[in-house]
Amino acid sequence: MTERWFPDEMPMPAASAETMGWWEAAAEHRLVVQRCAQCGTTRHPPGPLCPHCRSSASQWRQLPGTGRVYTFTVVRQAFIPSLSDRLPYVVAAVELDDSAGARLVSNLVDVDPAEVTLDMAVEVVWEDMGPELALPRFRPAPATTQGRGR
Amino acid sequence: MSARRGRRAVIAGVATSDYPHLPHLSEHAVHGQAADRALADAGLTFADVDGLATTGFFPMYATGVAEYLGLHPIYLDETNTGGSSFEVLVEHAAYAVEAGAVDVVLVTYGSVQLSQMGRRLGTGGGGGGFAPGPAIYDALWGNTLVGNYALAARRHMHEFGTTPEQLAAVAVSMRRHAAHNPQAQEREPITVDDVVSSRLVADPLHKLDCCVISDGGAACIVTTEERAADLPRAPVYVLGAAHATTHHLNMSAMPSLTLTPAAQSGPAAFARAGITPQDVDVAQLYDSFTITVVLTVEDLGFCAKGEGGAFVEDGGLELGGRLPTNTDGGGLSACHPGMRGMFLIVEAVRQLRGEGGATQVPNAAIAVAHGTGGMLSTGATLVLGKEAP
Repeated sequence: MTERWFPDEMPMPAASAETMGWWEAAAEHRLVVQRCAQCGTTRHPPGPLCPHCRSSASQWRQLPGTGRVYTFTVVRQAFIPSLSDRLPYVVAAVELDDSAGARLVSNLVDVDPAEVTLDMAVEVVWEDMGPELALPRFRPAPATTQGRGR
Repeated sequence: MSARRGRRAVIAGVATSDYPHLPHLSEHAVHGQAADRALADAGLTFADVDGLATTGFFPMYATGVAEYLGLHPIYLDETNTGGSSFEVLVEHAAYAVEAGAVDVVLVTYGSVQLSQMGRRLGTGGGGGGFAPGPAIYDALWGNTLVGNYALAARRHMHEFGTTPEQLAAVAVSMRRHAAHNPQAQEREPITVDDVVSSRLVADPLHKLDCCVISDGGAACIVTTEERAADLPRAPVYVLGAAHATTHHLNMSAMPSLTLTPAAQSGPAAFARAGITPQDVDVAQLYDSFTITVVLTVEDLGFCAKGEGGAFVEDGGLELGGRLPTNTDGGGLSACHPGMRGMFLIVEAVRQLRGEGGATQVPNAAIAVAHGTGGMLSTGATLVLGKEAP
């Protein structure tokens, strides 16, 4: 991508011990979710303890990168001035397939905001921000992947 | 709340500062004005205060206010749960006076958000300055505070068929109450059509689905029934209180976007007060956005889950309606300086003292003040009563 989807002065993630693995996978364009190594419960955002069994042992589960729109909004007034010329843009909570219900808040791209609906099937599209950072956004999934199992 | 006789917690005085536009005052001066008036209302002076509860947007906030007010309290509380903070601070103060740790707690709030920000829409920004950790997961996408509440509104519409017109009815009712409040920031009557035809800020929330941004402050005095017996105002009893949280500031971590912490704090507070939602005569519910009120009336049990839209239609929140709510005009019309919770308590007390003026609910005996903080992250319910429990 030659031009950034958002301007450079957007906040950038600072990884913590718990989130580093997620961002490392993202840099390789792999969408993952943290999964408790003891009881199997998934959680997002990544954290130090399983909210179900409190185990600190966890693994990264590779996801297919597809999901469905759980909810969304169309931002029409930006509070960061440099985003003003990107309006309107779509912010969505995407329920990720095969993640046992984990949701990722992100943007929907390559779509007319008026066409977005809840439960719409979407797939990840990565934007490389640098050698160590890529951000996952989502676009409508081609019809062939619609209805993929969760 | 369950204290031995004499040390039952009461609110003995309340006041608001001037509002909604105070370009000539500092934040501390707003605290000072509200505190001075609340003490005068209670028939007390600063010399009587031995506890201080307040919160704001930087650490050691209460000590700063104590210095400004010239107080050396033996009880300090600056618990910050966002917009619900002041319900929590009054709950804590009630426990403290009932335990005998302190006798007179001044709970005070002040803000000059409007004069500092110089804009009038929404309640704040969305980007920049995020620490490492989970909150960053929501900070990268240009979402706004309004946008976060819009995510909940859209989901509620999807699950329950709630309509933009039903959300708009909340704003219309608040404005109708604000018409009777000479201090209210917006007093011109509006219609459902005005709301849904105002510009979209973050779909499905329009400009008029959003609270105003104001300067202002408020304060109350929490003391014991015994102490209040010698004071001029009829005491208002703290019958029950509770608070809860579902997530921090990231909507990705909120278990359900249509179920708020009020579903926990409400039943717990009502149980402690020994009442049911049907016993409540008047409510002061945090109305940062119209959806906030719809979610709150459901989660507090004033109607079934999903029926909030129908509940607020056709004047359900107005005088003579099912649940007269935000009788001062609320944050949607009267005043929203950032953390409005203190205003909810002041108006609840005024209603129970029969000082509601044109929007007085006849014979109001039990009032609920419910604050909502963060991104629907926290809820705090305070049940207040005219009579001793």
